[in-house]
Amino acid sequence: MKNWVKILGICLLLYVHTAGLLAEVPRLNILNETVRALYFHVPMWFGMTFLFTMSVYYAVRYLRNPSPELDRKVLEYANVGTVFGILGIFTGMLWANYTWGSPWHGDPKQNGAAIALLVYLAYFVLRGSLDNQEQRARLSAVYNIFAFAAMIPLIFVIPRMTSSMHPGSGGNPGFNAYELDYRMRMVFYPAVAGWILIGLWITSLRIRLKTVEETIIDIEDEK
Amino acid sequence: MLLTLIRKEFMLELRRKAVISGIGLYMFSLIFICYLTFSLRQNSINEATWSALFWLAILFSVVNSVAKSFIGEKRGVSIYYYTLASPQVVILSKILYNTLLCLVLSFTGYGLFALFIDNPVQDTLYFLLTLLLTSMGFSSALTLISGIAAKANNSHILMAVLSFPVVIAILLMAIRLTKNVLDGIDRSASLDELLNLLAINCILTALAYLLFPYIWRS
Amino acid sequence: MKNKLLTTLLSLFIILTAQAQADVEMADTMRSEGKIYVVVGIILIILIGLIVYLVLMDRKVSRLEKQLSDRQR
Repeated sequence: MKNWVKILGICLLLYVHTAGLLAEVPRLNILNETVRALYFHVPMWFGMTFLFTMSVYYAVRYLRNPSPELDRKVLEYANVGTVFGILGIFTGMLWANYTWGSPWHGDPKQNGAAIALLVYLAYFVLRGSLDNQEQRARLSAVYNIFAFAAMIPLIFVIPRMTSSMHPGSGGNPGFNAYELDYRMRMVFYPAVAGWILIGLWITSLRIRLKTVEETIIDIEDEK
Repeated sequence: MLLTLIRKEFMLELRRKAVISGIGLYMFSLIFICYLTFSLRQNSINEATWSALFWLAILFSVVNSVAKSFIGEKRGVSIYYYTLASPQVVILSKILYNTLLCLVLSFTGYGLFALFIDNPVQDTLYFLLTLLLTSMGFSSALTLISGIAAKANNSHILMAVLSFPVVIAILLMAIRLTKNVLDGIDRSASLDELLNLLAINCILTALAYLLFPYIWRS
Repeated sequence: MKNKLLTTLLSLFIILTAQAQADVEMADTMRSEGKIYVVVGIILIILIGLIVYLVLMDRKVSRLEKQLSDRQR
């Protein structure tokens, strides 16, 4: 990963965390000041989706052309994606508690996100219960692709079919207003980009660390 | 080739009568427990409870019966298939066979529910159609996952853990359809969900077909 | 290059903070008292701290990689 990408990610996050609190936001009922949580909560989901997609991409590449390096990438992208997802779900619960009245509100998007997390937790369980390294990599890649594909209708199709409390679906005029607000976009899009970049950075770091670890084990074995 | 393999599945299944009767009994006891629980208070079961109980019973018996399609198989048998047929044919035959199995299970389940508990379904044809589509979906998703789980150590626990997130999309659609059917809503209202279910089935079957050779190789 | 970035950010800031309308209840008193800057400061310190930690980790991994490649030769 190039250094300027990391610096860009840092700058974006610094900008987002200042502007996200200081900049003017639309005045909306119910949400009031908590509308700012959009800058910090939603990017977690974007980051999670992005990292999981990367994980699936590397899983496909692994199946076409197996190598332990690609398997490491699949695992680490899933790992960091899960961290983002867990942060997203907790921030979402806190926010929902104040605006919708209860931490778990049965919202389709919330349920979809929880299931996405379940898929990857099951993925880790699967990895844990296979001993042979090559077999573990192959079977978990297959499950990764299969489960991700089964999840897509759940996350992207069903929330659009039913009424959701999230903006962009169902009848929530007060919530839909900020969808088109340019002032919020100025902070929101940098926030998404910044968190994705930071997620990529952490992932690349973890991959490098794993690579070092495994070369050390190889050297020890040779001795 | 495909037909021979399906026929072989049937032959094997019929020979292992204990397994079939085991699954049947499993489902019967599930439904009987539901009946016993609700018979304490007459007429206390409403539509939502009925659909929850029904899908729970179906899901558990289906997961358990499809799980054995790979888990129960002996090592030598799979090596023998490997020399005989291509993996695509094997997975297709298993999926088709399991579809039939799931269909039989869901129809029996429906019959038992109608017999013991209640039959609040207003639009029977659509409900049966839902059962058909869900059986297809369940069988293609669960067959592949049982193939994965069979390779691991604690297959039976793993089977449940791995299959839950995958089948939940199907289940969600099925529950929504059941609600429409129970309320007797106009058929055009549930057409969307039926098509959705069909699309999910197509995705899952195609993926199982594509991915199975990779599992098979070891 | 860096100056330019800074000025664009600053001008963006001014635009963003310029508009105001008051019909829905917001934390306006907190803003007018300037206490919001305390919150911003705290959040930035945590963020910067975490990022510095990440950078240090990055450098450590780079050093390890280098050591390893030296030993392998």
